[in-house]
Amino acid sequence: MTSLPGLLHGGSEEADRRAAGRPGWDHAHQRAVGLVDIVLQRRGDVTGLRRLHQAGCLKARLPRVEMAGQCNIVTMNISGGIAGGDRLDQSIDLAEGCRAVMASQAAERIYRALPDSAPARIGNVVELAAGARLDWLPQETIIFDQARLQRRLRVTMAEDACFTGVEMMVFGRAAMGERVRWAEIDDRIVIWRGGRLLVHDAIRLRGAVGEMLARPAVGQAGRAMATIIHVAPDAGGLLGDVRQALDKAALSAGATSFDGVLLARLVANSVGGLRATVQAVLMILRQGAALPRVWQC
Amino acid sequence: MVEDSALLRLLTWLSPAFPTGGFAYSHGLEWAAEAGDIRDEAGLCGWIGDLLRFGSARSDAIILRAAHRAAPCDVAGICDFALAIAGSAERRLESLAQGAAFRAASSAWVVAAPADGQAEPEIWPYPVAVGVLAAAHHVPAHDAVLAYLHGFASAQISAAMRLGLLGQAGGMRVQHDLEAVILQVADETDRLGLDDCGSACLMADIASMRHETQYTRLFRT
Repeated sequence: MTSLPGLLHGGSEEADRRAAGRPGWDHAHQRAVGLVDIVLQRRGDVTGLRRLHQAGCLKARLPRVEMAGQCNIVTMNISGGIAGGDRLDQSIDLAEGCRAVMASQAAERIYRALPDSAPARIGNVVELAAGARLDWLPQETIIFDQARLQRRLRVTMAEDACFTGVEMMVFGRAAMGERVRWAEIDDRIVIWRGGRLLVHDAIRLRGAVGEMLARPAVGQAGRAMATIIHVAPDAGGLLGDVRQALDKAALSAGATSFDGVLLARLVANSVGGLRATVQAVLMILRQGAALPRVWQC
Repeated sequence: MVEDSALLRLLTWLSPAFPTGGFAYSHGLEWAAEAGDIRDEAGLCGWIGDLLRFGSARSDAIILRAAHRAAPCDVAGICDFALAIAGSAERRLESLAQGAAFRAASSAWVVAAPADGQAEPEIWPYPVAVGVLAAAHHVPAHDAVLAYLHGFASAQISAAMRLGLLGQAGGMRVQHDLEAVILQVADETDRLGLDDCGSACLMADIASMRHETQYTRLFRT
């Protein structure tokens, strides 16, 4: 295992996050804070809850769905949306051989941040022990004008664990007359496998985002985007099928594979078209398993 | 002001004649041309400008600077980071193959052996290889970044000319117009660290992925 300079993965930020994420926080403004902390264990063939801690505006529910012993989790943010200075932390820890699906109940909204406020911070931490498998399926994040967001998804996994994750982001919904001119978005997916850094996917859109998204190498006027990451020992074997699904869609998209990773990027004009294609790709990556019911509403 | 010996070395190391095989890589530009994302001189200037200001070239500049100031024990971690942020099979190939070729070609400029017990990195992504060599020869990071970004832009322009997107005169107008962008990005990355890396260039990411299955191609990436 190699060591990385402290500035790289923000060791202090992590400590800060843990401190602020616990009850007893003290914030200057009346900002929302939410925490969900889940630990799963396996009994026989069934993955079940070992510990659930929830606080503030974040809640987790475990709907009973008969599906080969896997644990289904739906999270919800009862604050109604996220603004500058808000802080949401979720962590999920899967013991050896656990299987779980984690989805959010609804799309998340990132509202305008006040000029002097800190960005909204969302910190998601996933730990996967040997043979564990997690599907990370939040619904889309809707960015409003002048939103500021720092989001981190950090996955630490064993060599033979499996992770399938998606993040979708929409810059204003055309049908709602929303236009995003300015925003600061810093969205990362960082995956460590077997003690080694595997993926550091960092989307950074700061400033006159409306104009930037129109640019040729950025978005070509697309305002809905998705990143899908699948990490599994045989991930590359699905690349052909995923590419076929992307080719059928009326949007810009590509997929690639390296070192047990399958990575796809999608850019679309509207969230509707984006979601349909994301669902088709997830169907392939999840071997035909139905998406959580919250996705179908 | 850059010293004469430093300038001389940068001219050698970042010259298209330095055997890194840079002519073989288009960084997804070949797909962008095929797809009609780049049609002319203005489109090319916009595309390369985006990569410099918001995309992979900006991140490379930050990585080069981090490698330049790194202690020997941190270089392997920066190599891993540079590979992890290159988000497609061809981006990884481009960085690793050019980095390895750069290491081999620069063996005449002897770099001090790593300190005892410090293993050599197994891989050398291109910006890390350049940053480490520049530091070993006291070539200032800022000058190395300018040369690196200039090399990136001129390789892209050269690829576009070979793809028939524009002629030599047009290519040199793009090179001229990108000077201000290169200077600006070199300045802006001065105070930045690896934590500031990231890209807005989603369409360029997609172009790099799509190039993997492009039917007729001149370039490896």
